[in-house]
Amino acid sequence: MSTPAQAPLLSINALRFRWPKAGADCLAIDRFELQRGETAFLRGPSGCGKSTLLSLVAGVLTANRGSVRLLGHDWQELSSARRDRLRADHVGYIFQQFNLLGYLSVLDNVLLACRFSARRAGQAGDARQTAQRLLERVGLEAPDWRRRASDLSVGQQQRVAAARALIGRPDLVIADEPTSALDEVLRESFMDLLLQACAENGSALLFVSHDARLAPRFQRQLDLTLINQANADAGVSL
Amino acid sequence: MNMRALLIGLIVTASVVLVGALTAGSAFVPALAQTVPSSFRVISWDALAPKDWDPLKQYRDSNVGLLMDGDPKLDQMMRDMRAAWDNAPTVSAMNGAAVKLAGYVVPLDEAKGGLKEFLLVPYFGACIHTPPPPANQIIHVISKNPVKGFRTMDTVWVSGTLSTRRQESMMGTSGYRMDAVIVDRYAPPSR
Amino acid sequence: MKALFKLAVHSAWNRRFVLSLVVLSIALSTFLLLGIERIRADVRENFSQSVSGTDLIVGARTGAVQLLLYSVFRIGSATNNIRWSSVQSISQHKAVAWTVPISLGDTHRGFAVVGTSIGYFDHFRHGDQQPLILAQGQPFGSVFDAVLGADVAERLHYALGDRIVLSHGDGKMAANDHADKPFTVVGILRRTGTPVDRSVHIGLNGMEAIHLDWVAGAPLPGMAVPANQLNQYDLTPKRVTAVLVGLKNRAAVFSVQRSISEFQGEPLMAILPGVALDELWDVVGIGERALVAMSLLVALVSLAGLVAVITASLDQRRRELAILRALGAGPQQILWLLALEGTLVTLCGLLIGTGVCALTIFALGPLSGSHLGVTLRLQTLSSSEWALLGAVLASGMIASFVPGWRAYRLSLTDGLSPRI
Repeated sequence: MSTPAQAPLLSINALRFRWPKAGADCLAIDRFELQRGETAFLRGPSGCGKSTLLSLVAGVLTANRGSVRLLGHDWQELSSARRDRLRADHVGYIFQQFNLLGYLSVLDNVLLACRFSARRAGQAGDARQTAQRLLERVGLEAPDWRRRASDLSVGQQQRVAAARALIGRPDLVIADEPTSALDEVLRESFMDLLLQACAENGSALLFVSHDARLAPRFQRQLDLTLINQANADAGVSL
Repeated sequence: MNMRALLIGLIVTASVVLVGALTAGSAFVPALAQTVPSSFRVISWDALAPKDWDPLKQYRDSNVGLLMDGDPKLDQMMRDMRAAWDNAPTVSAMNGAAVKLAGYVVPLDEAKGGLKEFLLVPYFGACIHTPPPPANQIIHVISKNPVKGFRTMDTVWVSGTLSTRRQESMMGTSGYRMDAVIVDRYAPPSR
Repeated sequence: MKALFKLAVHSAWNRRFVLSLVVLSIALSTFLLLGIERIRADVRENFSQSVSGTDLIVGARTGAVQLLLYSVFRIGSATNNIRWSSVQSISQHKAVAWTVPISLGDTHRGFAVVGTSIGYFDHFRHGDQQPLILAQGQPFGSVFDAVLGADVAERLHYALGDRIVLSHGDGKMAANDHADKPFTVVGILRRTGTPVDRSVHIGLNGMEAIHLDWVAGAPLPGMAVPANQLNQYDLTPKRVTAVLVGLKNRAAVFSVQRSISEFQGEPLMAILPGVALDELWDVVGIGERALVAMSLLVALVSLAGLVAVITASLDQRRRELAILRALGAGPQQILWLLALEGTLVTLCGLLIGTGVCALTIFALGPLSGSHLGVTLRLQTLSSSEWALLGAVLASGMIASFVPGWRAYRLSLTDGLSPRI
């Protein structure tokens, strides 16, 4: 059966990418698929192109050859404006650190995702209330909501980032080493929270990290150095 | 590319704002924004002098061009001409006529909102170096609304109602007055 | 767009210390631009309102602007006077309706003294044909009567009946005072907003009386004529500085002007006040344009500062831009964000500058009137002032696209992982 509901959420085919001034490809991936609601752990050492791959998956960069499809749409075939809309509507992104706009309040940071996407705003219903509930879910109480984002601790900031990535139930959550800046205790609670929330929402999770200890929690575990056939030494390191 | 078009569009918009603001501030806006009703008949300065008026008739035959500067005959002729021009008669048919004609501005009284009274003359320098025009070629214009942005020797179209004046003065019975409704800048046609 | 606007506001507010310096700089240049334009407009209006209803001003043959300046505005001085016989010839000209001779040269404690005829109060008009009105008292009747302008009475605290002593020339040396012949204040004029306010008016006979014992501008020792012996002398003036002329028919002005310039008795000159004023503006206009050009340059410098500050801050904001891109903001929206910030800063500067200018005019307007002779008035913005503001705003908008464009390029190359 190949009904639309079972088509892969994310599908990469014959991908080739190199940075503009590089001598060789940075990424060469023949095939990679992620199903709806699937959690995938992507492991790889620094400099092998992890962040580049995530940028390609999120449609911020476009492949030189091959295709990267999200929900059946090839990023390259879309116009710049439609790409941004697709990303805003269906992708939640968590960076390693500095996820928040320091000059906005915690609540405004979470609501940012709804401001850029009408679809996610609609999914969220009453955006403010949903944001507040999400913040509670990640462990931030009402007094914190008004605080400037830059006043929070790193752990708190990462949790707010998770809330923002999750609001409005995006189809795909991309996390780029989100726990690297957290200590053990915080890391565990963050992981619990993230995986639970994704399961509740039905969001797929593409989690990138160099910390192999986190791998068992995920449905799939992948090693980027095995998937990526490009010479990791060539190209611009990140 | 979408971006380029957007940028170009934006620079054009900003430039339009700039130009619009500057134009609004310049003096090149017609003094009054009304449209000219076609009821004003465009006339030339000749129409203001009677057809048979010829103050230098007696000098037509003599060869005036041969006289030197300072020649008493020339001085006499100039004095006669001056006297004749100062007493130049008006055309009575012009009394009450609604006309439009172009000329040079000589400001008289400036009110707060702009120029209210001025003289309209047919040629440049009427107050400076050339002989003053005959009295039937000077119009004392009183504008209904004060007009801004005109200075000495600007060229304008003036539309209004003429009236002739009877005066007990060395000016004899001459003198045109116009109650002007519209005063517009005159742009000479390209030659 | 609304989201971008809120972001722009928050972001700019976050960096308010640095940006406020830019705002101040733009505010200063706006203040300069508006201030100069307002002063220019008000000076012109003041000058053009100073005399009205006078068809010709006649004086010795000097220059049109010079004659206008000293006869109406009491600026500068006459190089020569004209004879009383010439004044009489002019009054008898067929086309002349009235003449008002004026005699200048004396002062009273810094204010100009004007010797004139009683006709001055009937024929002198200003503004929109406004006549002179006496707030108190009456015009001069006897030889030593004086009528004060409003500013003179106010600044020197004079009232009717006070005695004042006039001085020859600028009045700095006491020896030039006509101390033996003081004048009595018999009238005080209502404020006109013209140089009349700053003048002391006396009769031509009074002017002649105090100079009887002076020859060529210096008092003759031993020839002083005491005040009580004056009735032995003919106090008709021999010379005056200028004559204001009104005609029966205004259209005759060219002809009368021509006959006065050809006057055989002495070299005379007649000017049309409106025309001479336009000539004055031609001269002054060069300076005005230079001032405006300077102010526009200042504005440009401020905007360059704006561009520099916002562009310099971009490096620190690459993280921020990456976050926005991850959320779905496109490069165009990043460009708009930066451009909006720049425009907001420009707008702030414009508003503050305009406000400060208005406050300054409000505070200093009356002072400038009494001390400098030009009253600055608080008014709604004129079209040329709107034009200047529009030009600055438009330039700010365009200039903001420089950091906007840079941010656009940066976000394209950085993607989600900027090289910090």
